Amino acid sequence: MGLLEATGILDKFESFVGVNLWTMLFAWANLLILYLFLKKLLFKPMKNMIDSRQKEIDDMYSDAENARTSAEELKSEYEEKISHAAEESEQILKSAVRRAQLKEEEILGEANSQASRILERAEEQIELEKKRALNEVKNEVSSMAIGIASAVIERDVSAEEHRDLIDDFINNIGNEQ
Amino acid sequence: MDLSVNGPKVYFELPFDLPDINIFTMKNLITQSTITLFAVTLILIIAAIAVTRRITKRPGRIQVLVEKLITMLYNLVEDTMGKHNLKFAPYIGTLFLSSICGTLLGMTQIFRSATADLSVTAAWALVTTGMVWYHNIKNFGFKAWLKGFTEPIVVMTPMNIVSEIANPVSMAFRHFGNVAGGSVLTALIYSALAALSNLILGWIPGIIGEIPFFQVGIPAFLSIYFDLFSGFVQALVFSLLTMVYVGGACPPPEEMPEARRAILEKRAAKKANKKA
Repeated sequence: MGLLEATGILDKFESFVGVNLWTMLFAWANLLILYLFLKKLLFKPMKNMIDSRQKEIDDMYSDAENARTSAEELKSEYEEKISHAAEESEQILKSAVRRAQLKEEEILGEANSQASRILERAEEQIELEKKRALNEVKNEVSSMAIGIASAVIERDVSAEEHRDLIDDFINNIGNEQ
Repeated sequence: MDLSVNGPKVYFELPFDLPDINIFTMKNLITQSTITLFAVTLILIIAAIAVTRRITKRPGRIQVLVEKLITMLYNLVEDTMGKHNLKFAPYIGTLFLSSICGTLLGMTQIFRSATADLSVTAAWALVTTGMVWYHNIKNFGFKAWLKGFTEPIVVMTPMNIVSEIANPVSMAFRHFGNVAGGSVLTALIYSALAALSNLILGWIPGIIGEIPFFQVGIPAFLSIYFDLFSGFVQALVFSLLTMVYVGGACPPPEEMPEARRAILEKRAAKKANKKA
């Protein structure tokens, strides 16, 4: 066990219940040494490490929390914007449709009026043509009538002299028709 | 079959005689308990160096374990003494480790349990009492501390003084008694088992009859209770009592009397000034 014991110098025991003042002194000394050493070597550095890690974790969590809230804010902002955009696009579409309808009506009206104008003009033209054709026919018929008449009476029918007669004739034909 | 219950072995005694006063002795300089105490100190310091040599933010297995224990210690101190008394945690931890190592080293059979020596537990208990008195006087003033003995009524003064003395005495004897009693019981059981072994197997001739077979195994289970469990519980009780007594002498600042608080704040400010 101990060196002294091994040499057999002392074979003595203390009493079972007793207070040895030297042992007390050594107990105090050891407690003090151990306290100073462990405080400096074990408790302080360990506690600092634990606290700093805890602080780091807390910081990380609070950072994450901040990031989350800001992301949520952004998200709601965007959502609002998007919903606005949908509304806006709907409005744009509606107004476009309305404008298109107006345009359609306008075009249709114009087309209608144009068509009716064309129709009118065509009718006028037709009337004119008809008149011209009628006049031509009159002239043709009058010259034919003069020819026939001169053949019948075997003499020249002077156009100037019988103009009135012929015209009466033709007019009568026209009226009879 | 002889069974002797002894105190610690004496390794070195002073060459001259010193008078013993009652149970107090001064002649034996170095005993088994002293050796154990130094061994405890050495082992714990080496262990602390080994553990804290490489502490990192990302802990290894041992570091996690040690950190867990230290967190438990600080939580215990905070629960018992309050947040303002966390500065006592290193001392409580030292006391607990000294106590449990001092007890468990006895299991090696190379050393004798340091806490099975009344001198050691008495020394620790006196440290607790000293801390209580020091902090009482520091926090409440000498007069208020003395006046505290006459409360709630003057007639109670002798009782209060007795209870003040009884605190360290009971702490010392409780710890010493549990550990020493355990070792005595273990020794008794060993000798009883040897006797039983001799009674039943003694008729076998030769060396087989002399081997105390019954001593194998059975004492191990008793040792789990008397050394491991009891040692742990006593270390915990001793530390807890220290926490409670010292915590009582250091109430939170907001519970202090107004006048005392002003003095303490002034003192703290002066201290801070000196540091800066």
